Amino acid sequence: MAEHKEEMRDITFRISRFNPQVDNKPYFDDYTIPVERGITVLRALNYIKEHVDATVSFRAFCQAGICGSCGMRINGISKLACTTQVWDELERCKIENVVKVEPLRNMPLVKDLIVDMDPMVDKMKRYSNWVESVMPEEKMGEKEFLIAEEEFQEYDKATDCILCASCMSECSILRAHKEYVGPAVLLKSHRMNVDSRDGAHNIRIAELVKDHGVWDCTHCYRCQETCVKNIPIMDGIHGVREDALLSRGVKDTSGARHAEAFMEDLEKKGKLVEATLPIRTNGMGWTLKNLLPMAFKMILKRRTPPPPPLVKPAKGIKKFREEFREMTEHVKRDKKGNK
Amino acid sequence: MKRYSYYLSCINESMTKELDKSIELWQNDLDIDFVKLHESTCCGGSNLDYVSPRHFAFVNGRNIALAEKQGLDLVTSCNTCLLTIRSAKQKLDESQALRDEVNGILKKEGLEYKGTADVRHLLWVLTEDVGLETIREKTKVPLTNYKIAPFYGCHILRPSSVLGKDDPLEPTSMDQLIEAMGGKVIPYEHKNKCCGFHTLLVAEEESLCLAAESLEEAIEGKADFIVTPCPLCHTVLDGYQSKALKQTNTRKSIPVFHLSEMVGLALGYTHRQLGIKRHIVT
Repeated sequence: MAEHKEEMRDITFRISRFNPQVDNKPYFDDYTIPVERGITVLRALNYIKEHVDATVSFRAFCQAGICGSCGMRINGISKLACTTQVWDELERCKIENVVKVEPLRNMPLVKDLIVDMDPMVDKMKRYSNWVESVMPEEKMGEKEFLIAEEEFQEYDKATDCILCASCMSECSILRAHKEYVGPAVLLKSHRMNVDSRDGAHNIRIAELVKDHGVWDCTHCYRCQETCVKNIPIMDGIHGVREDALLSRGVKDTSGARHAEAFMEDLEKKGKLVEATLPIRTNGMGWTLKNLLPMAFKMILKRRTPPPPPLVKPAKGIKKFREEFREMTEHVKRDKKGNK
Repeated sequence: MKRYSYYLSCINESMTKELDKSIELWQNDLDIDFVKLHESTCCGGSNLDYVSPRHFAFVNGRNIALAEKQGLDLVTSCNTCLLTIRSAKQKLDESQALRDEVNGILKKEGLEYKGTADVRHLLWVLTEDVGLETIREKTKVPLTNYKIAPFYGCHILRPSSVLGKDDPLEPTSMDQLIEAMGGKVIPYEHKNKCCGFHTLLVAEEESLCLAAESLEEAIEGKADFIVTPCPLCHTVLDGYQSKALKQTNTRKSIPVFHLSEMVGLALGYTHRQLGIKRHIVT
């Protein structure tokens, strides 16, 4: 006889509660309910609301991972309640059979598991994240836009985004500064930038390279790792950066100067010249003001990077440099060919 | 003795020299030989991939080809070098056209990118090749008296599609290594968080805010030290520590060790030998 497998278990949902009219800060309430294998966290929450405590508040709609309404943190990670199986969460529980449910981070809390999505929507507006058609209005309807398969591939994955804001909740820099543009907004910007029907690239890029824009991303990949639609969000963010550097020549920003220093040093030395990187990125004034006190400590501990003349080039640098330049020629040649 | 091509990271050549020196001390004890790749160049540090994707493929295709010429796997002790070189490898392995272009250039140097060498981190060599059992046996001075906060850093965990060893949100390999050497791992929620290194020069305030949170949790958890497998994380958590904690008015401090130094301690080397005294926070 086949071994009997447990299909039903009492599970505690430790839910973050907050009612701004009476509470100073959020707290947890525990709800223990019988749960069958195959039940999602959203169904468990619905059960609690219907049978145990009608005041538990959360947002949900489609129950099928399409509308993006039920983003919340389950056992500490931002995801959709409707596509998360309770059984899959059991091995991630810090306390056995206790599933922790909290609201998304980095957005203002409205009540219990509900956050205010307006800051994200406002940023979508600030960065003009819609197609501003290149076709004059009077011509519309006369001719269709034909999109090449190749172009579609560029933004196919980005269009899977359902604006659930899980990535915004996981973003390291948004946690540090609420003005930061955030991954979902950058992804959408990239999706619009590479669309040949769109005529607002320059306006969008000019905004994206300002403070709290694309250069503030710290490449932690938390957004991509937790994306509920498995979208390679960092490709989109890097796409915006590549666009700012190559296509539209928006180079006069500290982020752009910092990135380009790597090319410069590679060609010269094959190594990064760290000593002058702050100066090349932010200028002498900033460097003296921000790094001088630390530089003294570092000198005492002999941790300062060597000045440029003392940076030993990689062995065989001459040959490497020739090859590096050959690749530069390839890139230039192809650019000309595309014009 | 197991041999590897050892990739020279820019930061270990300039600011965190103690990292490579500590590895040199103990590599024989663990029957490992790291053959330094003096011809290798900067990987492009998580920037070159969008500044110039084709130079990125060439530079790192060449770094890997150098290891392949030695017939060895490439090992790095820097998280960002790991992610960068592995990403380039993935791109090269996926595209015949890119491989042909890179190899067309590398031919002049008698090099060829074949895709045969793996690109690995020091932590993986220790936990997978040397193995926890051997580490346990060879530990001379168990870290019994230490409570340790393991800070993994991002680029050894995420994206898992390129790295794929530890759980990207709940890593355990370094915890196991610490325990094998007799140390006690403290519960540390920030173990998988970001140190902020890559925005230090562009958004310093935000970077330091991230560093401060990770430092504070370790201090509050009464850890004796933080250990990290990445010299970039080390530079922020150690070098920028006082600046970061000033933002939050925290008056305490906490030492931060390189993975290689912690291994050295367990194998019986002194703080002085391992270069721990060169840290800003000691």
